[in-house]
Parts: sequence; C-alpha cells; structure tokens
Amino acid sequence: MPNIREVAQKAGVSVATVSRVLNHPERVSPNTKELIEKVMKEMDFSPNVFARSLNLKKSNTLALIIPDILNPQYMEIARGVERVAHEKGYNLLLCNTEKDLKKEQNYIRMLIEKKIDGIILAFTLLQQEDFDEIQRRNIPLILFGQNILKKNISSVYSDFKEGAFLAVNHLIQRGFRRIAYVCGEKDQLENRDKTLGYVDALLGSGLNICEDLMIEGSDDIDSGYLAALKLLKLNPLPDAVFVGNDLMAIGIIDALKNEGKRIPEDISVIGYDNIRMASLIEPKLTSVSWPVYKMGLISARILIDEVEKPDEEVETQNIFLSPKLKIRKSCGHENRVSEIFDLK
Amino acid sequence: MDLSSNLMGIPLKNPLILSSGPMSRSGEMMIKALDAGAAAVVTETILNEIRPNVRPRMFNRGQGLQNIRLYSEFSLEEWEREIAMVKERGGILIANILAHSPSEMAFLGRTVESYGADALELGVSSPHGEGLAVLGSDPENLYELVKTVAQSVNIPVMVKLSPYVNNLAALAKAAQLGGAKGISAINTVRSIMGVDIDQMVPLLPTYGGYSGEPIRPIGLGAVATICQTVDLSVSGIGGISKFNHLLEYLMLGADSCQLQSALIFHGFSVISEILSELESWLEDKNFSSLEQIRGKALSRLKSFDEIILEPKIAVNKRDCPLPDCTLCTDSCTFSALSKNQKGLVDIDSSVCTGCGLCVSICPRLCFDMQ
Repeated sequence: MPNIREVAQKAGVSVATVSRVLNHPERVSPNTKELIEKVMKEMDFSPNVFARSLNLKKSNTLALIIPDILNPQYMEIARGVERVAHEKGYNLLLCNTEKDLKKEQNYIRMLIEKKIDGIILAFTLLQQEDFDEIQRRNIPLILFGQNILKKNISSVYSDFKEGAFLAVNHLIQRGFRRIAYVCGEKDQLENRDKTLGYVDALLGSGLNICEDLMIEGSDDIDSGYLAALKLLKLNPLPDAVFVGNDLMAIGIIDALKNEGKRIPEDISVIGYDNIRMASLIEPKLTSVSWPVYKMGLISARILIDEVEKPDEEVETQNIFLSPKLKIRKSCGHENRVSEIFDLK
Repeated sequence: MDLSSNLMGIPLKNPLILSSGPMSRSGEMMIKALDAGAAAVVTETILNEIRPNVRPRMFNRGQGLQNIRLYSEFSLEEWEREIAMVKERGGILIANILAHSPSEMAFLGRTVESYGADALELGVSSPHGEGLAVLGSDPENLYELVKTVAQSVNIPVMVKLSPYVNNLAALAKAAQLGGAKGISAINTVRSIMGVDIDQMVPLLPTYGGYSGEPIRPIGLGAVATICQTVDLSVSGIGGISKFNHLLEYLMLGADSCQLQSALIFHGFSVISEILSELESWLEDKNFSSLEQIRGKALSRLKSFDEIILEPKIAVNKRDCPLPDCTLCTDSCTFSALSKNQKGLVDIDSSVCTGCGLCVSICPRLCFDMQ
C-alpha cells in the first residue's frame, strides 16, 4: 500500500496538507480536499488507524481549572476555551477548585494520570513544585488571569491593579473623597493586586488610606450584602464604594436599596468584571471590564498550538489584555459618548 | 502595458487591491476579485472574538455608504481554510487584523502568518466603538503596537489609518518608526447617515463608517499627507470607482489602491473595467508604465505661501448652450455673473474676484480663467 508521502507527491501537495485532509478536513479548501481524496482513491490509500493513534499519542482532551464554578466570569472563560477546543476536535475537562490548593493539586494528579494533552490554569494557587511536576511531564500549560509570568509557560493575563486604579480614579474624578473598598478573598493574587490599585489611586490623589473603609468579602453576592451592612454602620457614611467583583457589588446594591439608600445619589457603587448582569440590574452598574471570553479563546488557541507543534517549534507567548472602564449609572452619569466609544 | 506595482516589496501585476470589507468576507469572494483582475486581496477584519452582526447594518440613499459593522463573522480557526483557498489559487493575500493590545495583535499576526498570509494590515482605525480613539490616534500607542507586531512576524506589516484624527503625519511616522513597511489610508469615516425626522430616530442605531464616492477627497488629502511624511509603500483607499480615481491616488504618491464600496454597488466587474480603461488612458497618453505618473501631482502640491498671486478672472470660453441653466449665476457669491436676454452669461470683470467656482460648476465647461 502506498504511504502518505507518495500520495502527497502524486497530488502535488505537501505531506502536511494530506495529513490535514485526514485529521482536520475542515481546514482544507474544498478543491484541494477533493483532489487529494481522488488521488487516495486511485492509489487505494487508506490511513492506518492503529498507526495513527500510536503516532498521535494524544488523549485529545484539554483541561480547564477554575476557582469557582458559580461565578459567571469564570464560566465565560470556559465558554471561550470550549468553543475553540470543540472547533479543533478536543474534549474539555472542567475542574472546579473552590479556591482550595489541595483540591487543585489533586486535580493536577488526576489529569497527569489521564494523560491530558494540555492544561489551562485560571487564577491558580499552585506552587513552584507543582509547576515543576507538570513541566517534567512535558504537558503544555497556559496560565490564565493573573500577572504572574513564568519562564517557559505561556500566559494570557490582565492587570487587576491597573483595573482597580481605573475604577478608584474614576470615583475620585467624580468628586468622591470617602471611598470604601470591599475586596475579595485576600488569598487570591488578583484581589491583592486590586487592593494595590485602590491604595495607589487614593495616595496618588493625596487621599488617606482608612482601614475602616476596607472590608473583606468572599467574592459572592451574600458577602457583598453583609459588607454593605457593615459600611452602613460607619459614621460618616462613605460616599462611594469600589467592589472587587460584580457579584459582591450586586449584593451591596441590594442591601443599600433595602436600607433605603439611593444609588448613586446617597452612595455610588463601582464593580469589577462587567458581567452580563451588571447592565441589567437597577441602577446599571459601572464596572471594570476585561475581555475574559476572548482571553478564553486565546488561551485555548495557544494551548492547542503548543499541543500540536513539535516541542522545538513552541515559543512562549505572553498575551496581555488591558482592563477598561464600562461607565453606567451607578456612579452618576457622565457623558453618554464614553459608553459608546472607548475614550482614552 | 506595464501596470506592475509594488506592495511593501511584494510585486503586484497591477495596482488594484480588494480592500477589507464585506466583499472580502470569504475565500470564495476574494477569489472572485482575483478572477476579475485584482492584484491582491485584503481579508475582512479578523479578530480573536467574533460577534454576530446587527441587522440592519448598511445604508445608502444616493451618495455614500454607511456600515455599522465591519468585522468578519468567521472565527480565527475558520480563516485558516479561507486563507488557504486564496493561497491555493495563487493569490496575494493581506490579512486585516484587529486586536486591543500589542501582544494580542502579535498573536493574531503570527497566527494568520502561519495560515499563509503574505502581509498584515493592522485595522487600528475602525470608526466603531473599539480601536480608533485608543489604538489608531495615539502615536505612542501605535508605535508600541506596530513594533511588537513587526518584531513577531516575518511578513511585511502595513497600518490602516483614519482621517478622523488631527495628527495623521505623526501617526504615519510612528508607524514607520515601529517597523511598518506600508500604510493604507483611509479607513471609513465615523458618521451618522441621517435621522428619520418623522420617527425622530437615527437611520442606523449607532455611529458607522462612511465610505464611497463622497470620501474620495478626504482620502486623497490623507494619502498626500502620508506620502509627504514617510517613505513607505502607500495604499490609497476611499471612493475609487473609475480609472481616473485610481490615477488621482497614484499621482498623489500611492503605490497601490484598494476598493470596496464600488464593488458592493456594482459587482466585481468594476475591477476589470477600471484596469482596461487605465490601460487605454496610459496608451493614449503614450505612457509605458505607471512609474511615469506616480507622485507627479504630489510634487506639484504647494504650500499656501508658494501659490503665486495672479490677477486672473473668469472669462467666457464658449457661449452657454443651456439658456435655462442658472448654476453659475446662482452660485457666484460676488454677483459677477448674470444671464442676458439671449441666455448667454455676462461677466462683470470689475466685480469678479477670480474664485474659479464657475469654471468647475459649469456642466458644459463654458468658463476659463485669464
């Protein structure tokens, strides 16, 4: 029986093109596909399925590890990753760590046993020895989210310090001086980054940092609600609050409304993530947006590239996407045109 | 006839390129343009994240075209096949890409390069919500972006600029400094097509990009400025539907031209019509190659100070054959023109200030300046 090289030669195309017809026919133009299939038929060529699976040595499965399956922001990552994985013919395993390092390490062990083709780690808590272990197994890895760059590991990340700075600076520009901060769990690196941005923005404008105004929540709606009740006990009340994520901001808005406060007249609220719900609640929530779905797409694209390319051709890529303010009514209305165009 | 041209070092058989837009939305469409004679094609804007198109999104009522969505609906993965189709046909393909950070743009550039693109066009000046204000109008941002992309690919990079800025020359320089080999201009112009005054709503629900005949003077002005600023391969875009429009861009220094709106209105045959009329014109004028006309008008573009003051006024070149036409008399802001009883135009030479409007406004070319 002829081999793939002879087929390529007869069809006047490269071996890679014949291989694409066999493995990813959707990526070959109809004319070429037809020609190659005709040549295969003429030469009585059929791909050796057993040899192929040996050759590919792949499970055709990728894994995405996320901290919290209930947070719609993380599900947007999954939506992006899944879309590309499916289009490229890969299965996707979704692992929910609940921000627990042990659980994350267990997942890694399980994935290594399953001979996973590649892993995307979103907001990981893993330690250096865990990374070493994965790299020893030569499993392609993408770091998603935080600004932690590691040698030889590609990443797709945003800057949460910059995002928080944008948010708090926006409040200062609006004339607010007593700005509270409800932060997410401090174990998470991105939450520590947001705190740095909050502090930088205040100090940069000559304002003081006041411990009373900083309350820790746990990134969910309920903790936002409880944080708002604490804020309302302060005297004087804060005139604005920067919230580490939109879920907590939704809880805060609910609590403030229940306690008879008007937003933004009595107190302004700004969130982080720009989840879909932010534009649906009343008042519509001003938030910091970062292109999480797109980052999911890019992560999967880079990962699959690394899985499919020979090791020596793989180049580490660090793709950065900046956060942007999405201005809505919850901090008072500014000019409408800034909602339509990105203004610098 | 030698129509050969050059795009950032890539030889072209002629200067006509299909620009980025709905007519270059797929491999099949781009091949149609190549079959009609286009020397190269630019893909519709390729993004990492696609969003479904709104409906309706295009509007025309005479004049130009407004489009409120200008990006591809194909995913990056799907573009691998579309690009391969064009490459298998032997076409020269420029991938128009848009991203929102230098590293993302570089990623897209590397990806489409691996699909076979011959060059990149950075679509940083889209008139829509994203892009223009942040990427396409700030020289520092543009420099960083172009530099990052140019360093990560092995194919030439061109930058598509918008006239909707007040620092075009600075942007062109920033692109050159960053390593761009070419500049294309202009992108569509941010616009609102009009308002339905009975319903009191805009004709299309958001700002859009304006293209077609009315933007050609804006495109010519921008291309001249760019050609006077940088020594790069310039691709002129905006309102090209006839061979003479193409010549105007070339004479102002463009190396190639791109067209889209005329093809939307009249189909791909416009390409072959322009090319055959271009050849006839060059033959009539005894030119043997485009090099003989390139940049010729640009070198005659003067600064205001250099224009010599001449005491010229309007004179009758021929008798007016249209007794009922009042275009010239109505538009003479100095009331120097009047129609006599015979229907001919009298020029009051003591009042005429030589503005020249009658010379260009007369459909029968009855005036001259002396």
